[in-house]
Amino acid sequence: MSNVSKVPRRSLFDRLFEPPRIGAMAPGAKIIVYTLLLAWSAFVLFPIYWLLITSVKTAADVNAGPFFIPFVDFTPSLHAWRELFIVDYADTLRAYVNSLIISLAATALAVLVGSMAAYALARIRYQPNLITILIFILTMTAALFAVFSYGVDWRIVLVVGVGIFYFFSKAVASRVKVPLANGDILFWMISQRILAPIVVVVPIYMMFQSVRMLDTHLAIILTYAVVNLPIVIWLMYDFFNSIPKDLEESAQLDGATMIMTFREVVLPLSRAGLAATTLLVMILCWNEYLLALFLSTAKAQTMPILVAAMNAGERGILWWSMSVVIIVMIIPVVFMAIVLQRYISKGVLLGAVKG
Amino acid sequence: MSTDMSSASETDTLTSDAKRLSIRKMNKHYGDFHAVKDLDIEVEPGEFLVLLGPSGCGKSTALRMIAGLEEITSGEVIMGERDVTHVLPKYRDIAMVFQSYALYPHKTVAENIGFPLKVTGVPLEQRNQAVLDAAAQVQMETLLERYPRELSGGQRQRVALARAIIRRPSAFLMDEPLSNLDAKLRGFMRAELKHMQHELGVTTIYVTHDQIEAMTLAHRVAIMKDGELQQLGTPAEVYTNPTNLFVAGFMGSPPMNFIEGTLSQGSIQVGNDKIFLQGAQEGTAVTMGFRPEDADVVEAGEGRFDAMVYTAEMTGDLTLVTVKHGQSILTIKMPKDFVVDYDQKVGIQFDSGLSYLFSTSDGSRLKAIVVDS
Amino acid sequence: MTSTQGRVENRQPGYVPADNSQPPSRRFRFNEWLDGHARQLFITPAVVMILIFSIFPLVASLIIAFSRVRLKAGGYQVRFVGFKNFSKQIFGSEQFHFLGTFTTLTFLGWVVALSASAAILWWMYRYITTGFSIIGFIGRMITAIVGLGIAWMFAGTFFSGNPFGTLGVTLFYVFVGCGVQFIIGLGLAFLCSQPIRGRNFFRVAFFIPMMITPIGVGYVFRMMADTTKGPFSPAWQWFGLNDFAWAANPWTARIFIIIGDSWQWIPFIFIILLAAFENIPRDYVEAGQMDGASNWQIFREISWPQVMPVAVTVMLIRVIEGFKIVDLPNIMTSGGPGIATESMSLHSFFAWRSLDLGQSAAIAYLLLFVTVVICVSFFNLIVVNRMRRI
Ligand SMILES: Nc1ncnc2c1ncn2[C@@H]1O[C@H](COP(=O)(O)OP(=O)(O)O)[C@@H](O)[C@H]1O
Ligand SMILES: [Mg+2]
Repeated sequence: MSNVSKVPRRSLFDRLFEPPRIGAMAPGAKIIVYTLLLAWSAFVLFPIYWLLITSVKTAADVNAGPFFIPFVDFTPSLHAWRELFIVDYADTLRAYVNSLIISLAATALAVLVGSMAAYALARIRYQPNLITILIFILTMTAALFAVFSYGVDWRIVLVVGVGIFYFFSKAVASRVKVPLANGDILFWMISQRILAPIVVVVPIYMMFQSVRMLDTHLAIILTYAVVNLPIVIWLMYDFFNSIPKDLEESAQLDGATMIMTFREVVLPLSRAGLAATTLLVMILCWNEYLLALFLSTAKAQTMPILVAAMNAGERGILWWSMSVVIIVMIIPVVFMAIVLQRYISKGVLLGAVKG
Repeated sequence: MSTDMSSASETDTLTSDAKRLSIRKMNKHYGDFHAVKDLDIEVEPGEFLVLLGPSGCGKSTALRMIAGLEEITSGEVIMGERDVTHVLPKYRDIAMVFQSYALYPHKTVAENIGFPLKVTGVPLEQRNQAVLDAAAQVQMETLLERYPRELSGGQRQRVALARAIIRRPSAFLMDEPLSNLDAKLRGFMRAELKHMQHELGVTTIYVTHDQIEAMTLAHRVAIMKDGELQQLGTPAEVYTNPTNLFVAGFMGSPPMNFIEGTLSQGSIQVGNDKIFLQGAQEGTAVTMGFRPEDADVVEAGEGRFDAMVYTAEMTGDLTLVTVKHGQSILTIKMPKDFVVDYDQKVGIQFDSGLSYLFSTSDGSRLKAIVVDS
Repeated sequence: MTSTQGRVENRQPGYVPADNSQPPSRRFRFNEWLDGHARQLFITPAVVMILIFSIFPLVASLIIAFSRVRLKAGGYQVRFVGFKNFSKQIFGSEQFHFLGTFTTLTFLGWVVALSASAAILWWMYRYITTGFSIIGFIGRMITAIVGLGIAWMFAGTFFSGNPFGTLGVTLFYVFVGCGVQFIIGLGLAFLCSQPIRGRNFFRVAFFIPMMITPIGVGYVFRMMADTTKGPFSPAWQWFGLNDFAWAANPWTARIFIIIGDSWQWIPFIFIILLAAFENIPRDYVEAGQMDGASNWQIFREISWPQVMPVAVTVMLIRVIEGFKIVDLPNIMTSGGPGIATESMSLHSFFAWRSLDLGQSAAIAYLLLFVTVVICVSFFNLIVVNRMRRI
């Protein structure tokens, strides 16, 4: 007897959840997939739609209850836009320019410093001595303690501290060696991201206060750059590791210095990684609120502070103006995303996350 | 074999006879691109059929349609008596070996081999026994606990084979399974593969672009070009009796020598010499071919035509003499002790019965023959 | 060649001996010097920046956490007070705020406390009896102690019907919030990796919330959740809930904050997991199909193990960021009702605003401690274990 191959009888479940044709999707699965995706799109997009229409509502439209469709439910008015960009344009423009300067500069600094460190960690072997590091931390703790609790002048402490550190690192650390490796440095740098801003912001505030740099661009730029440094180092380390070493080695054989190799060979090869990293850091800097709140009072205020400022206390929240600010804040990010996306192959973030 | 119908489904996943596989008028369009054109092949039960062709000619596409991984634009695939054209791959009872092996990196060798049985719900005891048997068949019993990344290329290849044979499927499909191995291992695995297919007697379709692999493995070879079947026959048939210029040129290593000319007064002009043909129309552009092993290098003037020696390569078992004639380079296999100087004028002799004539315009084989005068 | 030095004859043709008669240019010397110090040059800026803006403040913060800080005219007065700031949070007058309100344990509270303790002790016992290393033991000991503390904290508050403090709220945001976000993000990524139409639309649409400033998200969701003027107020009214104040109920308030947080963070999880799904070689899935696996089997046996390492790392990042949550509860509820939605970051922020710097730093340090213990435990006990098997 010839072998009867098994053709399963298709139950209703099978008919719903098995593709009718090869390469097609099962009808049941199709319905479920599109329902879920459309539902999620609605959940994601509706708040944005609401933001857009709120920006063209008057106070009366907002307070009289929900109106959904412009021209039908209510008459859109550009008063909030006018107010922010014509009447109060100086404040808006200042915050906007501040935000642009700060996030661009902080991103550039973080990406430059971070990728240099990442490259060094990916290519050079370091062996820092744990003992030196411990001596450093102990000296610093003692120094800070002296400054804070006993009010010793910080300049004196600095000089004495450097002396003590120098002495002990010569006397002890050159004899006892507990070498660490690149992985340890990398872990240390990346782990800085665990710090919630709230843990370090008060001393940073005091530090900038003591050198009279509060409410300056530079203070916020430096802080943002450091906060985002771990992300840059992490993403770029992985990216540099994925680049074959041959090209750099051949550049070195041709007599290029390490800096030249980095600038002429490595950076151009890493465009995709740099673009993805830049975009991510840029978004984080642009949207940051808590640190900006601490470090700026007037001159250096950024856009997120302006958003919060639309909560005008006893007059209630100026929803219309706030919507305008939030919307205009999205524009540069979208612009950056469009500019950078052609450099970003989809695998960049993935590579780092995998490693 | 007479099994009760109701229990058939249980048993025939583990044992099944070889099935005939019929591919009828199979077509594949990717938008405007016609990747496979009217493919018609009958694969006999237990046959080892090799699909051969240059890369990009649609072999993989054809194989994937047979597997059910790619939708068929038009045509039919019949297994045994069953029309499986639109059946999902998992119901086709076919096993496939991928070029990349597609071993699951997170599963051990044993888990990889046992996966087809696991997903069909075969109980653990039975499964373990089957894994041992299949592994033994490919000599991998000792490495069952390793992960794919801990195996060499040849070992991975064996695991992929074991995963294919464990189900005793009605047909094997293999897409260039040996192309990732080094040359020596490839020769070895080729022999193993052929032996195993013979032992299991399972209908097999094997895709390759390597004509030596095709010649050595196949019961029959199907040669494809640009999505079209050129010739289907045993390796010997295809080698000695190619139906067109493409097949003649594709089979054999070094390839067949070709000389082009236009027939006038019953002959074509080759340098200063004339070669006489019979049975072709006056004025047609013809391509004359002869195989390297069917020709000899003789003294100048004593062969059918003269040519200059370009190089002579000693390969160990023979000497390959390359001569230049006009623009064409011709290769002739000579005994290993044959000695010749570069740039020496020599004659080329070949047997009129062992030469082939094709129409230069469409590549078709002409009925004409070479005659002595 | 008439060279007196015989060696030169052996050189390659074209070899030109270096001409040492001219001193190298200043620029060249500078470049040489730079190259010689490239080791330090490349890494020093990053190290210095981290030392100044991370390590130095960290140590300073530690000192403040152990001190009482008073503002004086023209500066601060810092007095060392030992563990007072911490003990106030854990045992003292601020206990209700940080840990929660404790009364006697109810029956359920006892059940939870004892079973959690038993589980943790058994886990320690298993470790000690199977394998043992000093570092492993100390690490596990810390994990166990923190785990026990958290278990008893929840048993005494939540499971005994009492409100819990900012620690509990933070853990709720992290575990419930991140859990929900992970499941939805994974689901969406899987759906979008299917061969469907409009994939690019979904991909772009789902990414948008990541671009909006968190404080903006807070206000947007405050609008959304408004029961009288928000877009859903007709629905609220229809259910007869128009005077229902979600912000006055601790649980609805927390849930609304998680919804806003999810709206913002799911895109991040989605976009990376989508790339992970798309990165699975097509061969694996097709081999599974040939082997007879169903769609669910292919997901569970092939796709999921392939994306799992990525998923674990994404979650680690998400949890680290999750512990920092501050903007949303600050904007949406100001931590209210009472302290019901106040995260530890917000708690610390409020303490700073009332100029209680010592308390603020102490809470910040407690947050750091909890974050580090949980993240390191997660990494060492789950990630490393899993990775070893792949
Ligand atoms: N999904 C696809 N879409 C469009 N064209 C395809 C697709 N897959 C294969 N092709 C085209 O079909 C032709 C045959 O491909 P393939 O079967 O893979 O060739 P090969 O014989 O080398 O295995 C190639 O020209 C290829 O570009
Ligand atoms: Mg192919």
